Amino acid sequence: MIAIETRSLSKVYVSSFGKKKVRALSELNLTIDEGTIFGLLGPNGAGKTTLVKLLLEIIFPTFGTAKLLGEDVNNFLLKKKIGYLPENHKYPSYLAGGEVLKYFGKLSGLDGSKLEIKIDELLELVKLSKWKKAKVRTYSKGMLQRLGLAQALINDPELIFLDEPTDGVDPIGRKEIREILLELKAKSKTIFLNSHLLSEVEMVTDRVGILNKGKLLREGTVKELTETKEEYKITLLNKSVDLSKYSTKNMIISKAYEDSFILKVDHVRTMNLLLDRLRNDNVLIKEVVLQKSTLEEMFISLINEVEKGEAE
Amino acid sequence: MKNIFIMIQFTIREALARKVFLFFAGVTLLVLAGALLFFTLIDFDTLMGMSISSGEDGIVGKSINSIVVTIIINPLANLGLLLAIFSSASFVPVMLEKGNIDIFLSKPISRVQLLIGKYLGVVLYVFINIFIFITGIWLIISVKFAYWDASFLTLAALITFTFAVLYALIVFFGVLTKSSILGMMVAYLIFLILSPMMLLYKEKLHLFVSSEMIKTLLDGLYFIIPQTAELMGLTLIDLALGKGIVNVQPIITSFLFLILFLVFSLLLFRRKDF
Repeated sequence: MIAIETRSLSKVYVSSFGKKKVRALSELNLTIDEGTIFGLLGPNGAGKTTLVKLLLEIIFPTFGTAKLLGEDVNNFLLKKKIGYLPENHKYPSYLAGGEVLKYFGKLSGLDGSKLEIKIDELLELVKLSKWKKAKVRTYSKGMLQRLGLAQALINDPELIFLDEPTDGVDPIGRKEIREILLELKAKSKTIFLNSHLLSEVEMVTDRVGILNKGKLLREGTVKELTETKEEYKITLLNKSVDLSKYSTKNMIISKAYEDSFILKVDHVRTMNLLLDRLRNDNVLIKEVVLQKSTLEEMFISLINEVEKGEAE
Repeated sequence: MKNIFIMIQFTIREALARKVFLFFAGVTLLVLAGALLFFTLIDFDTLMGMSISSGEDGIVGKSINSIVVTIIINPLANLGLLLAIFSSASFVPVMLEKGNIDIFLSKPISRVQLLIGKYLGVVLYVFINIFIFITGIWLIISVKFAYWDASFLTLAALITFTFAVLYALIVFFGVLTKSSILGMMVAYLIFLILSPMMLLYKEKLHLFVSSEMIKTLLDGLYFIIPQTAELMGLTLIDLALGKGIVNVQPIITSFLFLILFLVFSLLLFRRKDF
């Protein structure tokens, strides 16, 4: 089943006197299956938060439609099945952590002993049990973030939106949040994650989307996005081999090191032909590896490409 | 309905935390102590003398009520209203702050319920404060003069109603600008200047306006601008004297103003981006 579906979803901000228009989101078509962790990446101002706010009707689309869990987003009762941790959230500083969860739990339709049990469970999960009665104003940034996560989970939601959930959290806390996300996924929850921390996104997400200037540039699994097609690293045992004599128009040496080479080929067949030729010439091959970039490398290169294209 | 009730609870808790209740309780205690001292020092005959000199007649108890309203309730209710506006103007803008409103709007509560809950919460906390104040004064004068007239307590409802009218305006500007400044300024402008001026025009100055066009315009304005000066003046005294609401027109036009601005606020809030 589909958890999130958008069709031509767009948001244009118009300045007070209508002189300036900012296209925050441009005809976005996105489909996210239930039970997956989807990571949305993008530089500042890419439209990531705008998308989440549109999906939760915190802002309204200029045009286009969106559905969550098969229902139109304009039905506010749908939010019984949704949890949200906003970026830079603010909780009333005069409330204790437990009270924050109580109020938002009540607004989510929970009450009585069921709510009390849920509050204790969640505070335990985010390691804030000892701080249940402490005022929010005494919490550190990391603790507030963990309280925010508990707040987002108070109604046991099917679909969870997390905007920069590890912002301000220390490395141990980040690891704990990652583990919580994986636990939620194991319970078939769908998680929509907005984050600047690409290494973290790479660790937990099933699929990733890259947004820039309101446009979805790429979307796929981390593997699909980070695999550099037809680029191999070959390491030879003999350092004196001159690989350049094997170069053809279908095979270019992009980088050469002491005993290894990065080769760009037009097809996997070309690589196999090269290996045959090397073997015929009794060249001893130590290792052949299909090249992969990290999500961060791919992201930076993609954004740079787009910027360069626009400049030209 | 449940959501509105939760929002009212939330708002009362917010008022408690902001020490608004504490502040009002402090002011109320001071005033009650002052009133107690006043009635201890001034004897019954002196009060009746004041009543006669102010032109009031009728039964003794009602005269006492009238004096209490004129010298204690009326100025303090006006001051109380100013303080209530000042202390409550930021409730809606704070709710609309980034990072705060996002969480509310991600919950299964409609925008209408959210705003109505907030509005009613603030009006309720003002009512509680005013009711404690009025009840305190009522107890003092009733015990002192052995005259128990519960109609005196209806003053709390009238003062709260006047606040509710002005607060609808503050909510509207709060939603429009996400700030409390403009709403507060407009509320003070109406309460302190426009409404008393319109009352003065209606009672005396209209005789001096010769232009029919200006007369029609001012007559129109008189009905459009909430008549807080009348509510806190004549209507308040009528209620204290046990006459009930003699002139319902200020109540009706002010109530229509309240409804109109609440509807405007809701229409604006329902489609506003945050």
